[in-house]
Amino acid sequence: MNNTITLLALFEKSTQTAEAIDDLYNLGIPDENMTVITGVPYPERSLGRHREWLTLPYIVMGGAVGGLLFGLFLSVITPHLYRLDVGGHPPVGFPPAAVITFVFTMLAIIVSTFLGVLWEMDFPRFGTAPYHRLVTDGRLAVLVECLPDLEQKVRQVVNSHQASYVGEPERLVL
Amino acid sequence: MSEFRPEPSIEPENAPEFEERLLLLEREDWEINQAVLQPMLKSGWVFWVVVILLGALVLWGLYAWGYLVYWGIGVSGKNRPVYWTLFITTFVFWIGISHAGTMISAVLRLLKADWRRPITRGAEAMTAFALMMAGLYPLIHLGRVWKFYWMIPYPNNRFMWPNFQSPLMWDLVAIFTYLIGSGLYLFLALIPDMAMARDHTEGWRYRLYRTLALGWRGTEAEWHKLHRALAIFSVAIIPIFLSVHSIVSWDFAVTIQPRWHSTIFAPYFVVGAIYSGLAALATILVIVRSGMKLQEFLRAEHFNALGKLVMVAGMAWTYFWFAGFITEWYGNEPVVRELIHEEVAGKLAPLFYLQMTANLLPIGLLVFKKVRTTPALLLVTTLLVNVGMFTERVLIVIGNLERNHLPFNWGTYRPTWVELSIVGMTFAGFALLYMLFSRIVPYVPVWEIKEGRLRYTLRRIGRLLIPTAAEIE
Repeated sequence: MNNTITLLALFEKSTQTAEAIDDLYNLGIPDENMTVITGVPYPERSLGRHREWLTLPYIVMGGAVGGLLFGLFLSVITPHLYRLDVGGHPPVGFPPAAVITFVFTMLAIIVSTFLGVLWEMDFPRFGTAPYHRLVTDGRLAVLVECLPDLEQKVRQVVNSHQASYVGEPERLVL
Repeated sequence: MSEFRPEPSIEPENAPEFEERLLLLEREDWEINQAVLQPMLKSGWVFWVVVILLGALVLWGLYAWGYLVYWGIGVSGKNRPVYWTLFITTFVFWIGISHAGTMISAVLRLLKADWRRPITRGAEAMTAFALMMAGLYPLIHLGRVWKFYWMIPYPNNRFMWPNFQSPLMWDLVAIFTYLIGSGLYLFLALIPDMAMARDHTEGWRYRLYRTLALGWRGTEAEWHKLHRALAIFSVAIIPIFLSVHSIVSWDFAVTIQPRWHSTIFAPYFVVGAIYSGLAALATILVIVRSGMKLQEFLRAEHFNALGKLVMVAGMAWTYFWFAGFITEWYGNEPVVRELIHEEVAGKLAPLFYLQMTANLLPIGLLVFKKVRTTPALLLVTTLLVNVGMFTERVLIVIGNLERNHLPFNWGTYRPTWVELSIVGMTFAGFALLYMLFSRIVPYVPVWEIKEGRLRYTLRRIGRLLIPTAAEIE
């Protein structure tokens, strides 16, 4: 959306926030132009928002397959390349291969979950971003992106739901 | 006939007091932030004196390690047949301690047990630091620590490759995986609290917290993704924590050493690890609660629940210990008979009876709610558990190695000052890291506490007000 402005409204209660969001929908503000920022994880959809689709489970599954293959490579392929016969055992035995493969699969799951969630959240992100420090003190912030001619209506809506602050958001260094 | 009247647990007039118990319902968010941040920012002289003492012990231990590296492993008490000594004993102990963090955090998170909330971070930190200490021992035990990289699989001009059939390689990869997993798990759950700390501090702390918060704002999408990632972590890390101590037990069980070669060793080690880990967590929480004045967050109900877990883990440990012991005793194999005799009536008897007393007495004590909910009593009881569990590892590792199938190859072991200093170094190092951690990172997971408050409400049923939790996670 070109030539848009961004407003930040702070609320004290989740009910007021949810009602304000409903009224902003009715005003024609689409979901992707609203961002709710809270210091506490509110239950999904409690503020009237859509449920976000995540690719994280697929990233984790991909990581698990990669870890499994790497574990198999180390425990099944490489002993043939560097053959070492010990204790009358075959160069590749199922029990040791199972241990190594299992551990590398789990390692890959853990690492891919971590990297996957950072990638999904676009972290680390050290620039400036619209934010308000009172969020971590319990306020709920709603960032609204709208056309300039809707600004007054947006202000009216959030004020009608007891917003404690409405204005242009400060872009803080995060 | 008297009228049946149930004992009212919460009368309406007592509601405010109960709300206070229900995860700080009356507190504002900023009050909770300050209650957690203030103890981090102000450290008294006692704290710094203890830090200096611990730092001195760590330096002394490093000197002893340097001495061992310079003169060789012969300066330890290691000999034939006692080739695994106090180093491996303490290694097993630290691996055991590391288990409670995951147990508390991952298992209770999956079970949605709300009492976990204030103690998860302390438990996760305990796991990470205990693993760091445990990870030092294979390096120390090597003697020639500079050869460590030979265990890393990469094509090299020596044409040597690690033997993945060796349990020592399983150890390496399992401990590495658990350390990475527990570290990332700790950090991931820390991000929102780093943002909270960033918003309330300045100077070097602001720069540190800003870096560690990674740009967190707390948008709905960020919370949703964090929750999903933590759920995956919780599921994935449970089999890892089970596998790590199983693999450590297989270091012993896959040998043909009498009393080690046992199929029950893996679950026995895991249960013992949970017992000692939970007890260590309770000990640490009592100390931190007093030292950081966190009485508002770490309350009797948390110690009560933790005490019950310790008691149940102790019962499970007793069952596994007895199942192993009766089988060996009944088999009556000569060398095993000799080992059992040494333990029960020989020179190891004092250690054996110390182990049994220190492991069994706490189970009986923890039956009483007063012991579970009185910090001083819980501290003594859980310290006793870890005295017992350390002694148990001494008996398993060192005691059992003194006798084997070849009587001409029997021997004894005495630790040297080098070993004692290095073991002391890891205990001091653990305490030092933990103390510094508690002053740099919010010890109580603030966002989890606040989320817990969202879950609770008081519901009137008849004449009672009943606390109820909503299903919001």
